[in-house]
Amino acid sequence: MWLLATAITLAACSAGPPVAADADPIPPLAVDEFEVLITTSDQPLVVNVWASWCVPCRSEAPLLRAAHESFGDRIRFIGIDVRDSQGDALAFMAEFGITYENYFDREGAIPSALGGFGVPLTFFFAPGGERVFFQPGVIDERTLALQIDELLARS
Amino acid sequence: MEFTLLWQAGLGVAAAVVVARFQRRRGLVSRDVGLGDRLVGAAVVGMLAGRLTAMIVQGVNPILSPADILVVRGGVHTGAASLAALATLVWGLRNDLWNGLDAAAPAALAGLAGWHAGCVFRGACLGTISSLPWAIAQPGSTITRHPVELYAAGLYALAAAGAFWLGRRWTLGVLAGLALASAALVRLATQPLRPSIGGGPIGWYLAGTMTGLVVVVLRYRSTAPP
Repeated sequence: MWLLATAITLAACSAGPPVAADADPIPPLAVDEFEVLITTSDQPLVVNVWASWCVPCRSEAPLLRAAHESFGDRIRFIGIDVRDSQGDALAFMAEFGITYENYFDREGAIPSALGGFGVPLTFFFAPGGERVFFQPGVIDERTLALQIDELLARS
Repeated sequence: MEFTLLWQAGLGVAAAVVVARFQRRRGLVSRDVGLGDRLVGAAVVGMLAGRLTAMIVQGVNPILSPADILVVRGGVHTGAASLAALATLVWGLRNDLWNGLDAAAPAALAGLAGWHAGCVFRGACLGTISSLPWAIAQPGSTITRHPVELYAAGLYALAAAGAFWLGRRWTLGVLAGLALASAALVRLATQPLRPSIGGGPIGWYLAGTMTGLVVVVLRYRSTAPP
């Protein structure tokens, strides 16, 4: 009985917030546009590749949001949503309160061009586009904080 | 699978078991309470509870995503893990509580020392930026940092040695309280040197320190001569 009640509670807790019908879709981004974006940025970049169906992405989403809130004025945070639907992706962003810029990459071409496989992936770029670090899989708080230190020291 | 984390956990377990056996050989554990097994059991339950709590807090349903429990790097809730580990240990030692907790104190602190020293397996010893002579840099970086996890390991090893040395000199339960307070205090003291996004669970470390000190006072007064 207790197990059933717990299961129902947990299942209810997993429902995400509704997405406004007039929410703007996540803009698409091609590989060449992404390359221009990272090479012309005068701020260091944290690029997180994610998808709404990716369970580990949920684990790191609150951490990335907190990092953006703390360092968003000095570091540019970018999300690349791959192999996803607009509706699910927007619901994911609303659920976790993600407000940094995000782009839609239906085929996952950008992470493939960067040599990454699967989700989540997190890339760290210095101003000018030099790749400083690449974290395949879930990023933990320590690694994220260390790499943000590295980016700030190089900028 | 986090094999480097397994190595780190293995070092923690090994340190705890070695100290527990040493205590038994020296006759410091009054009876065979299965100390090593109970400590490892408490650590496993604590890790599981901490991970499950972190998942729920992060909005991940553990029933729909059971495999995510293994993604320890996604976060472990410090408070839930500590409470669950302590509760498991207390339950396991309930027949001879204070005697058992006192016996567990040096081994538990040694286990924490081993866990933190195990950062070398993961390359995860680095803290905030430092220019001290012993500061170290991560591969490919020129930024040198405090080896904060090794600081913590050293402090825990000192606390374990102190607990071992103190042994049965005080009223039953005082040593356990001191161990709890020192375990939390080491984390509290080293937290400012840890790379962190949100500042870390300072409140839980403070609560652990205060709880340990309250146990010390209560246990000391409970049998202190008038």
